[in-house]
Amino acid sequence: MTQQETGAGGGEIKISARDVQVHYGDNHALRDVSVDIRDKMVTAFIGPSGCGKSTFLRCLNRMNDTIEDCRVEGDIRLDGEDIYAPEVDPVHLRARVGMVFQKPNPFPKSIYDNVAYGPRIHGLAKNKAELDEIVEKSLRRGAIWDEVKDRLDAPGTSLSGGQQQRLCIARAIATSPEVLLMDEPCSALDPIATAQIEELIDELRRQFCVVMVTHSMQQAARVSQRTAFFHLGQLVEYGETGQIFTNPSDPRTESYITGRIG
Amino acid sequence: MQEQQHHIATAFDRDLEKIQALIMKMGGLVEVAIQQAARSLEERDVELAEKVRAADREIDALEEQINQEAARVIAIRAPTASDLRTVLSVMKIAANLERCGDYAKNLAKRTSVLVQAPPVGGTARSVRRLAQEVERMLKDVLDAFVRRDVELAEEVRLRDQEVDQMYNALFREFLTHMMEDPRNITPCMHLHFIAKNIERTGDHITNIAEQVIYMVTGEIPDEARPKGDRTPYAGSEEVRG
Repeated sequence: MTQQETGAGGGEIKISARDVQVHYGDNHALRDVSVDIRDKMVTAFIGPSGCGKSTFLRCLNRMNDTIEDCRVEGDIRLDGEDIYAPEVDPVHLRARVGMVFQKPNPFPKSIYDNVAYGPRIHGLAKNKAELDEIVEKSLRRGAIWDEVKDRLDAPGTSLSGGQQQRLCIARAIATSPEVLLMDEPCSALDPIATAQIEELIDELRRQFCVVMVTHSMQQAARVSQRTAFFHLGQLVEYGETGQIFTNPSDPRTESYITGRIG
Repeated sequence: MQEQQHHIATAFDRDLEKIQALIMKMGGLVEVAIQQAARSLEERDVELAEKVRAADREIDALEEQINQEAARVIAIRAPTASDLRTVLSVMKIAANLERCGDYAKNLAKRTSVLVQAPPVGGTARSVRRLAQEVERMLKDVLDAFVRRDVELAEEVRLRDQEVDQMYNALFREFLTHMMEDPRNITPCMHLHFIAKNIERTGDHITNIAEQVIYMVTGEIPDEARPKGDRTPYAGSEEVRG
């Protein structure tokens, strides 16, 4: 197996992708992507707009299923199980592989109900007391409990942008997923809220496998342990974040991260 | 040699070019300092020695300026990859050049003392030859820096061995003079410090060569470089024999 496919060293392999191709109609958006994503660490996907990084992220919990002319080929395994196998229920898969989006998108419900929604539909709590416990635990892990504990009935949309994003992270954690996918989780936030989310992500990696797409290379450098660089639908380079940012091996990676025209 | 593309932010290119130009300026001043200090010694020119001592202030000020510019680039541009390595290398190269400047200044200081005694054989001439060799190494390593030429940097790095050997020969020459006539001891002690400092200058130039290699390739050369300095083991036979 090559360096590009595995990266070097680290935790156990959580997600393993081989020869993934994605087509949107006639557009071959992602070519031959093979990558092993490790557990209990943050993996960042970077690359210019349209490089396929978000497309690949969305393959990992079958969010692309919702796009009509999208075709995904290849092999993607979560703990060795093919997530595109016919018997896999995408809704169940998404409880195991949670997602946080670019713009905070709380449901138009109370803070409590935002977090309780997932556990309710997946029947994770036997009674009100158990649900209360899940909600509190999730809000604590989302680093927002202290700010909302006295107003759990207030609408989620009444919070600030950064708080809303942490609420969405708490909501994603509430179903006890194994993997958290984050698609530009800070791009709509100010620097302070961004720093709080980054601090939270660093906490979350103790329990989860975190995969994030970011346009901010400095953010990838700050929060991730491994970085994958995508360019024109291909995975160009994948490795330890420190190495990617001090001495990348591919000239295309070098051009992109140093802000040169690639 | 690798071709450098331009940054999308052209001001970033200008910042990096500016720092590199400052290194070339500083290196040029150090070259002149070594050359003039060695000449002042051989020609017993106190006025020239005085000039070298005064010029060191400008070298020190340039190091300060390079460090400030580098800190500014780190703060504002957050450089990565080869840009980051350039900024890191430039700071280390400036520190090494500053030491070389100090050694040249020290040579000039000792010249002022040495002219008060008669010359010791052809030693001043030999010291100047050593200085000329080191000065050529400096010129080449600066070329390697500005052209990002790893091969040339590697060649400079290996050439330090010759400097070590020339220094060994000088060491013996001084010993001989001191044993022949105790009145030579004072000037030979000064001359030996001078030679040792020039030899150390060669080591700093070797460090610069290694920084150039790191800047271009991302790797510090690790294999031990051949050492030619045998003086730590020399002397005992001569004294006893």
